[in-house]
Amino acid sequence: KLGHPSELPPEPVPNYEADEEFLRRLHHVLLEVEVLEGSLQCPDSGRRFPISKGVPNMLLTEDEA
Amino acid sequence: GPAPAQEGAELAAVIGATVPTGFEQTAAEEVQEKLGSASRISRDRGKIYFEVPARSLPQVHRLRSVDNLFVVVQEFKDYQFKENKEDALKDLEDLVKKLPWTDPLKVWELNNSLKKKKTKRKKHNLQSPASREKLNDGGEEGGADQNNTNDQEDCAQNPVAVEPSGGQDTEKSQGVTSRNGVEEEEEDNEQSDVKAEVQANSESGTKAGDSQPGEGEAKVLRFRVTCNRAGDKHSFTSNEAARDFGGAVQEHFQWKADMTNFDVEVLLNIHNNEVVVGIALTEESLHRRNITHFGPTTLRSTLAYGMLRLCDPQPTDIIVDPMCGTGAIPIEGAAEWPHCYHIAGDNNPQAVKRAANNICSLLRKNESKDSTALGIPLDIIQWDICNLPLRTGSVDIVVTDMPFGKRIGSKKKNWDLYPACLMEMGRICAPGTGRAVLLTQDKKCFAKALSRVGHIWRRAQTVWVNVGGLHAAVYLLRRTWERAEESRSFW
Repeated sequence: KLGHPSELPPEPVPNYEADEEFLRRLHHVLLEVEVLEGSLQCPDSGRRFPISKGVPNMLLTEDEA
Repeated sequence: GPAPAQEGAELAAVIGATVPTGFEQTAAEEVQEKLGSASRISRDRGKIYFEVPARSLPQVHRLRSVDNLFVVVQEFKDYQFKENKEDALKDLEDLVKKLPWTDPLKVWELNNSLKKKKTKRKKHNLQSPASREKLNDGGEEGGADQNNTNDQEDCAQNPVAVEPSGGQDTEKSQGVTSRNGVEEEEEDNEQSDVKAEVQANSESGTKAGDSQPGEGEAKVLRFRVTCNRAGDKHSFTSNEAARDFGGAVQEHFQWKADMTNFDVEVLLNIHNNEVVVGIALTEESLHRRNITHFGPTTLRSTLAYGMLRLCDPQPTDIIVDPMCGTGAIPIEGAAEWPHCYHIAGDNNPQAVKRAANNICSLLRKNESKDSTALGIPLDIIQWDICNLPLRTGSVDIVVTDMPFGKRIGSKKKNWDLYPACLMEMGRICAPGTGRAVLLTQDKKCFAKALSRVGHIWRRAQTVWVNVGGLHAAVYLLRRTWERAEESRSFW
């Protein structure tokens, strides 16, 4: 989803704690990649939350709250 | 001939440090941890004392729980003040020549050379609310002494004047000449007009610390005396003490008195019968170190550090500040506990923007220091404290500065907000192991809210603090083992 589909598996593989290569890529995505513009999508509802200048806006609307 | 003795290695220093009142114990722990020295906590609140070899000065400056540092010249645990004002002041004057200045001055010199080595960071002009906040954090003293408060306020003005401008300085020196009061002596100098001299100093761009002592040059040091006095049995004011003590210092060392461009700041701290004479090692308070973009209520980094330490973060802990404002707490957290993951959030777009800018500044600072370090374990999100987009029980620590009724929002709003906050913070926090550290001025509202969520939060410790002149409290809460409701209406 972040443009690194070929590097990360869709789900953590069993015993991922011992897989150094996986951990390295995960660390990179978590700590070194910053989404500046884009969105986060809720896996259940599909509702998108915009990301602007690196900051996601997760405020709910009046109806949602 | 033989190589000169390594003075720096043998020289020891007794350091006095000012810390946010209430966090003396925390600061003492940090000193023990990082310097291996035990501290004494003085009865004069907000100060701790410890001894270190002078070569440890760089580490002393890296302490995160201290606001200001000074080297102790001498401490008197039980000084007997004469009842008569003239006698009491004369005693203080006579004291000067008897004090062991030599080693403390060596420490001061060493400290100066350290300051010069540091690359000059761009200093942002500190606005007066920030300086007032810093100074009022000195805390209230027992004795009803109007002058004491005035002196603390006077004290504020000087450190703030980083870029001295002609007009401002003149005004300030006129306001505080009584404290160091050697105006009469100044007129004996080459320049007959005191005002002109002060202006000349500031306009010529002479900065404090620029003058090099020794080196064969008979460079005259500039100094000022700052006196803080508390107690109701003294026959004199801090102004008078500073003036007379300053006069004796001037006489003894033949230094030049200068309120604004001084090299040596002599501290005379009088707390009832406890007298401490020291020499300042910090020019401006260290507590604004992380923040370049201030908000109206930005928390001191030293206070943020103290709060974080209180919850004893462990490596891999997830630490959330759900009402982060300009981000003082999560930024301090990410800097000092890089093995934890810090998440900051606020609903206010201005706050979020400022916090994001502060984080960028930190990233840029990291980049310039170490080219390999890229990320910081810190993220910022705009969210609603009552509907946090975080899974139940997924967070280890919640730490935040709750909105104060008087400074942001209103007391009525807090009445409704506090219980809702505590519930949501309870939901995201891990049962049993989770903890929260919350700063609030609205203690009544907080106590009431807490009583309603006793099944989720237990009060473990309370620290009484002073924030911007207001009495506040920091509560350490522990999450009970009871699980929060799993079903969530939205998330």
